[in-house]
Formats: sequence, structure tokens, C-alpha cells
Amino acid sequence: MNNEMTLSFVAIEENEALARMTMTCFITPLDPTIEELSEFKTIVSEAVTNAIIHGYDCDGIRKVTIHGKIEDSKVTMTVSDEGNGIFDVDQAMEPMFTTKPLLERSGMGFTIMESFADNLSVESAIGQGTVVRFEKTFSPVTEKSRMR
Amino acid sequence: MTDIAITKNGIIVVALRGELGNHEANRIRTQISSEIFSGKVHGVIWDLTHLGFMDSSGIGLILGRMRDLAPQNGETLILNPSATMEKIFQFSGLGTVVRHCNVEKAIGEIGGVLHEQ
Ligand SMILES: Nc1ncnc2c1ncn2[C@@H]1O[C@H](COP(=O)(O)OP(=O)(O)OP(=O)(O)O)[C@@H](O)[C@H]1O
Ligand SMILES: [Mg+2]
Repeated sequence: MNNEMTLSFVAIEENEALARMTMTCFITPLDPTIEELSEFKTIVSEAVTNAIIHGYDCDGIRKVTIHGKIEDSKVTMTVSDEGNGIFDVDQAMEPMFTTKPLLERSGMGFTIMESFADNLSVESAIGQGTVVRFEKTFSPVTEKSRMR
Repeated sequence: MTDIAITKNGIIVVALRGELGNHEANRIRTQISSEIFSGKVHGVIWDLTHLGFMDSSGIGLILGRMRDLAPQNGETLILNPSATMEKIFQFSGLGTVVRHCNVEKAIGEIGGVLHEQ
């Protein structure tokens, strides 16, 4: 199945759940396993939360945009903001690196995204914003139905 | 969404339900913290049996409460996370406090350790 979508919302934390729910519905036709689904949902949640709290400081005005594409069993997604940007992407992707320890961030977001996604890439420029792109390939439906 | 109970011997049991992201963590953080600071608490048990979703915000929430507990040498146990959550705990160095058992057994474990001291 092929499909494509765009979702855009202002930077408030209530929209984290909206993004998780919408993207979960989007990939439902791929009949993901429980674990595939929860890994995918986690990647979405990490990227969207980062855009809201780090990109836009929860300003409630500027918008986070998610683009999703399904080609057969592969999902390609981007999560973009036009906010603060990341000073040093390599450093930001190190486990435990966070610029917001006082907000109780653990600095594990990128580590989790990289482990659960295929081919995660991050493009960012200070004052211009950040784009996180990743793919996730789901196991074919026929194989899973045979296992059930 | 969250049930917080305290045993007679000062162990807080936090039963989480639904989803735990940044928004939800921000809503329950102070509630759990104030319970920890309210008396002689020497342990927190996070019961994730009925939690459907968690991201790194859960790590921040749990590590933050471990810091709250540090002055009392309090212990932390995480019960019955899903496979995906367990991976997240392992990446974050919390794999050693994950248990797959019921709350009673976990309370016994914390109580037991204290008893030996
Ligand atoms: N969209 C973004 N815009 C600006 N900075 C970002 C963005 N995403 C990530 N960062 C920067 O990269 C750092 C690391 O991000 P990561 O998600 O790994 O950790 P965190 O968000 O700080 O903590 P956690 O995700 O564990 O709650 C952040 O602290 C922030 O400085
Ligand atoms: Mg993050």
C-alpha cells in the first residue's frame, strides 16, 4: 500500500499525544506487531517532543510539521521545526547529552530514536530549525499472519 | 491515570496507566515528589503493568525521583515494563532495577534489603 500525509500543529505539549495517535493510525494498515508499533510511536514522540520543547520552547505559536509516506512496508517520516536549531548535532546525539537538565530531560531521546529507527538523520542550523528524518520497515503482513 | 499508595513501612507504589510522555510526566512530577518529601520514604516502586506507552520522559521522571530519594538512600524498582520500555530502560542504565513480578514481591525485596542493613 502507498500513502502520504502531512500534519502541522502549534508547539504545545498537548499535541504530543495528537502526533502519537495520528501517526499510529497512519501506519495501522501495515498491520504492525505490538513491538513495531510501540517502537514507531516512541520515535514519533521523541522527535515531536524535542521540536516542541527544544525547537520552540513550547511557544504555542510556531508549528511543528510531520510528513509521512508509506511505500509498501516502509514508512519514511520527517519531523520539522523552524525553531532554535542544534548547535552541534553530533554532540546532541550522544547518550545523556541534554541542554535542559533542569526540565528533567535525560538526554536519551536521540539514542532511543536511533535504536528504534532505520537510517535516522538530523539536519539543523542555529536559528533556522531542525529536520529529523527516519525510515522504519515493517515485517510483511503475510509472514505475521502465518505466525499467528 | 496515576495511583499513588504508600505502605506502612514507607514504600511508595506508583501505578501508572495510559501513556507517559512529556506532558503526562510534567503533570505528575510534583505530586510524586511531594509524597517522597512528606515523610520517611525509603523506596519507590514504579508499577508499569498497565502503562501502554512511555518515552524518554519516563526516564527523566524516574531518574529525578531517584535523586529525590538519594538523601534517604532510598531504593527504586521498576515493575513489568513492556518489551519496548525495557529496551529504553536498558539504554539508560536502569535495566538493573527492572523486575517482572507483582507489587507484593517487590515490596518484599526492598523491605528485605533494608532488613539486612
Ligand atoms: N528540535 C530540536 N531543536 C533544538 N534542539 C534540539 C532539538 N532536538 C534536540 N535538540 C537538542 O539536542 C539535545 C539532545 O536531544 P535528546 O532528545 O537526545 O535529549 P533531551 O531531549 O535533552 O532529553 P530526553 O529526550 O531524554 O528527554 C537536546 O537537549 C537539545 O539541546
Ligand atoms: Mg528529547
